[in-house]
Amino acid sequence: MAVATFAAIDVGSYELELTIYEISPKKGITQLNRVRKVIGLGRDTYDRGIISYDRVDEMCKLLSKFKGVMTEFQVDGYKAYGTSAIREAENREVVLDQIKVRTGLEVNVLSNSEQRFLCYKAIAAKENEFNNIIQKGTAIAEVGSGSMQISLFDKDALVTTQNLPLGALRIHQILARTGGTNSDKKQIIQELIDNDIQTFKKLFLKEREVKNIIATGVCALYMGRGAHADKQRISVQEFQEFYQALRDMSEEQIAEKYDIPAEFVALIVPGAMVYKKLIEITGAEMVWLPGVRLGDGIAAEYAEQKKLLRFPHDFSQDILVAARNIAKRYMSDKEHSAILEKNVLNIFDSMRKYHGLGKRERLLLQISTILHDCGKYISMRTPGECAYNIIMSTEIIGVSHKEREIIANVVKYNTMEFDYTADSYTLNKDMRIIIAKLTAILKIGNAMDRSHKQKFKDIRVSIKDQQMFLTTDSAENIMLEESLFKQKADFFEEVYGIRPVLRKKKGI
Amino acid sequence: MAEGKEFQKSEYFQNRELSWLQFNIRVLGEARDKSNLLFERLKFLAITASNLDEFVMVRVASLKDMVHADYTKKDIAGMTPREQLEKIGEGMHKLVDTQYSTWNRSLLPLLKKEGLVFIARHELMDEEQKQFADRFFETSVYPVVTPMAVDSSRPFPLIRNKTLNIAALLKKKKGGEGKGSLDFATVQVPAVLPRIIELPGKDGVRNVILLEEIIERNMSRLFLNYDIVCAHPYRIMRNADLPIDEEEAEDLLKEIERQLKRRQWGEVIRLEVEESIDKRLLKILKKEFVIRDEDIFTINGPLDLTFLMKLYGIKGFDHLRQKSWVPQAVPELANEDDIFTNIKKGNIFLHHPYESFDPVVDFVRRAASDPQVLAIKQTLYRVSGNSPIVAALAKAAENGKQVSVLVELKARFDEENNIIWAKKLEQAGCHVIYGLLGLKTHCKICLVVRKEEEGICRYVHMATGNYNDSTAKLYTDTGIMTCDKATGEDASAVFNMLSGYSEPLVWNKLSLAPLWLKNRFVALIEREIKWVKKGHEGRIIAKMNSLCDPVIIQSLYKASAAGVKIDLIVRGICCLKVGIPGISDTISVRSIVGTFLEHSRIFYFENGGDYEIYMGSADWMPRNLDCRVELLFPVEVQENREKVLHILEVELEDNVKAHVLLPDDTYEKPDKRGKILVDSQSQFCAEAVKAAKPPVKGRNAAMTGRVFVPRESPE
Repeated sequence: MAVATFAAIDVGSYELELTIYEISPKKGITQLNRVRKVIGLGRDTYDRGIISYDRVDEMCKLLSKFKGVMTEFQVDGYKAYGTSAIREAENREVVLDQIKVRTGLEVNVLSNSEQRFLCYKAIAAKENEFNNIIQKGTAIAEVGSGSMQISLFDKDALVTTQNLPLGALRIHQILARTGGTNSDKKQIIQELIDNDIQTFKKLFLKEREVKNIIATGVCALYMGRGAHADKQRISVQEFQEFYQALRDMSEEQIAEKYDIPAEFVALIVPGAMVYKKLIEITGAEMVWLPGVRLGDGIAAEYAEQKKLLRFPHDFSQDILVAARNIAKRYMSDKEHSAILEKNVLNIFDSMRKYHGLGKRERLLLQISTILHDCGKYISMRTPGECAYNIIMSTEIIGVSHKEREIIANVVKYNTMEFDYTADSYTLNKDMRIIIAKLTAILKIGNAMDRSHKQKFKDIRVSIKDQQMFLTTDSAENIMLEESLFKQKADFFEEVYGIRPVLRKKKGI
Repeated sequence: MAEGKEFQKSEYFQNRELSWLQFNIRVLGEARDKSNLLFERLKFLAITASNLDEFVMVRVASLKDMVHADYTKKDIAGMTPREQLEKIGEGMHKLVDTQYSTWNRSLLPLLKKEGLVFIARHELMDEEQKQFADRFFETSVYPVVTPMAVDSSRPFPLIRNKTLNIAALLKKKKGGEGKGSLDFATVQVPAVLPRIIELPGKDGVRNVILLEEIIERNMSRLFLNYDIVCAHPYRIMRNADLPIDEEEAEDLLKEIERQLKRRQWGEVIRLEVEESIDKRLLKILKKEFVIRDEDIFTINGPLDLTFLMKLYGIKGFDHLRQKSWVPQAVPELANEDDIFTNIKKGNIFLHHPYESFDPVVDFVRRAASDPQVLAIKQTLYRVSGNSPIVAALAKAAENGKQVSVLVELKARFDEENNIIWAKKLEQAGCHVIYGLLGLKTHCKICLVVRKEEEGICRYVHMATGNYNDSTAKLYTDTGIMTCDKATGEDASAVFNMLSGYSEPLVWNKLSLAPLWLKNRFVALIEREIKWVKKGHEGRIIAKMNSLCDPVIIQSLYKASAAGVKIDLIVRGICCLKVGIPGISDTISVRSIVGTFLEHSRIFYFENGGDYEIYMGSADWMPRNLDCRVELLFPVEVQENREKVLHILEVELEDNVKAHVLLPDDTYEKPDKRGKILVDSQSQFCAEAVKAAKPPVKGRNAAMTGRVFVPRESPE
């Protein structure tokens, strides 16, 4: 059938949500049903580090009910994702296993950057508006309960994304612990927000022009209701008016006036203050509230993966641009990287039959290549380890935690001896094999441009009799490369059983 | 609400119980109306009696509870519970007097004239009849009655709520000791036997007598060792408001079953006795039932006039009854296509009982067997005995559909019935929800999820009346069937909320009580004020069963003060007062009491010319807007909007069955002189008949008969 039904389950930190979608090439992704229920998983995780049995029980019961709804719509597929409360719970493996055993549902854990990326996909799925909006400088800002995420766009690609500890619930809880009058409290919030956002401005925003803010997340949802945005766009002026009104009201009044459920009303004021500050420092003119939920992103991803829909927007391009921006930050050699990227991908593509890896791994290799020399920014002596640490603590939007680990390791072993036994605890077998395979390619690619003089600008790759010939038509001396190449080639052969051989084109 | 204080004065409101009494007086008016057929008048009189019973059992009971608890808070009309009880007492006594004078002075003589003699006292029977009665007593009554005497070893027995009983004073026959002392005895008039017994008659005249008269005549046969000093019927009413503690109740189903049994033990709040009752007998009853004089009704005639409903059903006399109405086919469905295909063609508007309820039953039935249907979800409030809808839902579950049913166990007086259905559905594999904690689920909605070629399609039926095929023949209700996408999404959201999930992020079209509905109504009323301020006309027409929500009434006053023209069609209670200068000048209230029970709720807002019409399950009462899950839905298709507006317009023109509220809180039928008579219910019947006739299509018109029409050459 041309029409697929799909269920997305968001095991959130504050509430669980199931959304049933219908996906068809003709009508795109449409929502059929959405059920939500508040279960404060985050309260357990953030307070005690683990999710208690009672909560797990409650969650399993709800998820079983969700399954009922899924049968009701006879869904063709489903995806269930846990976010920070699960991610950060020490007993997450057990919790996920419990869920599996009791409900039969497989819940996967999203990294922060994956989660943001899914949201971003959901936004981008509303293509017409989205493409219009990002014509001007745009920031996506999601104020959640635990943190806020700001992502910046340059033209039509995402350039950076940062996570700030400015969650509405977090702020609210800080306030709950402090005494003082209401206006004192508002003063404290103000200072808290000002500081973090100013730092963000200094480091990342710089002179970038932001005209539009795309606001998502729970605060944005109710903010829209407050600013009477039946329309999804509100002008900065409308926002300011709403903000002023908000400041003079008690929580009860806010709940009543804007029809906000009691359990969310506490998040509104801090949320609005964060947005206000963001608007001030960016000088944005318009706020767009696309009203997307994580589930929308999960559905978009499913549609993309199952080739049910084609997105005009190239998401891997976003990831690459974001990676390049990180590289730029750490002053990578741009020319060297460009050649390296080309060569490495060339090798990857030619080796397809032998490595059996797919598009996603190709992307990981590409990112590894882009970031391969970022460690030098910290130390010329131990660039590998430094790069590893930089990558592990940098958010690359759209890349899962495991994928990030793969990238970090590939970059690390690019300059270090490959260690088959290292990190056997965190890396599983599949990951280690991918790391080895990608490292092998990156190593020889890098060896070809050891001098950073781009001697191997246009290589031809051919494989014959367990040998891979890398042929260049460069007239330059390749002694340095050849001497270094042997050691790298040994590792390559170890991994693939194929010997790479450097060759100058005959007749030169 | 800081503003609008000026509309809050208690003198601007009528007490709801007194307004209810006014309503029952209007029904009684139909029993007194000579233009109604005789048997119809009997029926109306019976209705006033059963109405009053329910009123006492529920409303009076709860006021009594308040007085017992020393609760002195005043109602919106500024009356304390004690003051209310006092006024209601007066009103009820007056009402009962009118009931019996209607019976004795008008209906009884008229029946006689038509050849139906109602023998009021057994002494008035002739010999042949007496013999017949005694024989009947022996063969049919004696085996089922339980005479109960009271003495030192036998305490006063439990007298059941609403049952008819005969009390007697007995004296031991000669030879026994303790001469002179009187014993009390009581006998329940068996409910298993018909209350009306037809006696042999002569010359085509038919004679009937009431069962209790036959028992009275034969009392001595029940107490063989005694002489009967006197015997008189009596009837009690108990407090029947169920004090269900939902928070504590582990299993609501069981709790209600238990409370139902306990209803038999509630405090006695009304005693009805014959006018001629022996003083000594009355004294005993008074003492045993602990009842005050004002709660005793001395009746000049037979107790419990609800038996008139049975008299209405007596064989023969068809010319004295209105022909029973046959609901007409819905034109949009009069074709070969199935119900889903027909809904796909466009929203279908239903107006019961003018139009048949069958399509609704068919909707659920089809869904139960249609292979493409995945799920059915429905709310059930009051269902009929042997409901075809319940049967269809059970079948659907057996067919593997996902069936969720919300059965409202707390539907008053239907609890017993509902428990039975709920269990039956559960056994069939339906997912049954027994109502919500603290809320009654009153909305009437049915959702069918169907997997079709183009994806999931949701079919929704929403209505103002219950899914009850029997009452759908008597109650006027409206409904809509639609497969509109946005409505379908909302319908799912309604059931999600009923299943305990959080509210949806947005509603597309529907408004739900208790969370949003009242504000929505207030907003709609205030929008009319805005239009007036902009120089347009403001106009509201609203039809409902009862109007007593103070917030809504204040909004209406505010709108009236601003110049909005408001016409209300309120069948029952109306706490709003008309004709208060500067407050409610522009408001008119009318009540239609006719053959069918007016039940639909329709709301019209002019909206500066771009009018909006809504229908729903809620009255403008606090209990509907604050304590129940209710649904309001818009009527969107222009054709349907016109149909609904037409209903309102005709009802506003009704001058036969409508009563108009006057500034002194009484109702009066409008002056008909020189006007074309409009009886809205009859008009809707006629229109339904006309619409249901298959249209005669232009070209083939000549071919519809069985006679060939030869074409002749023109002159």
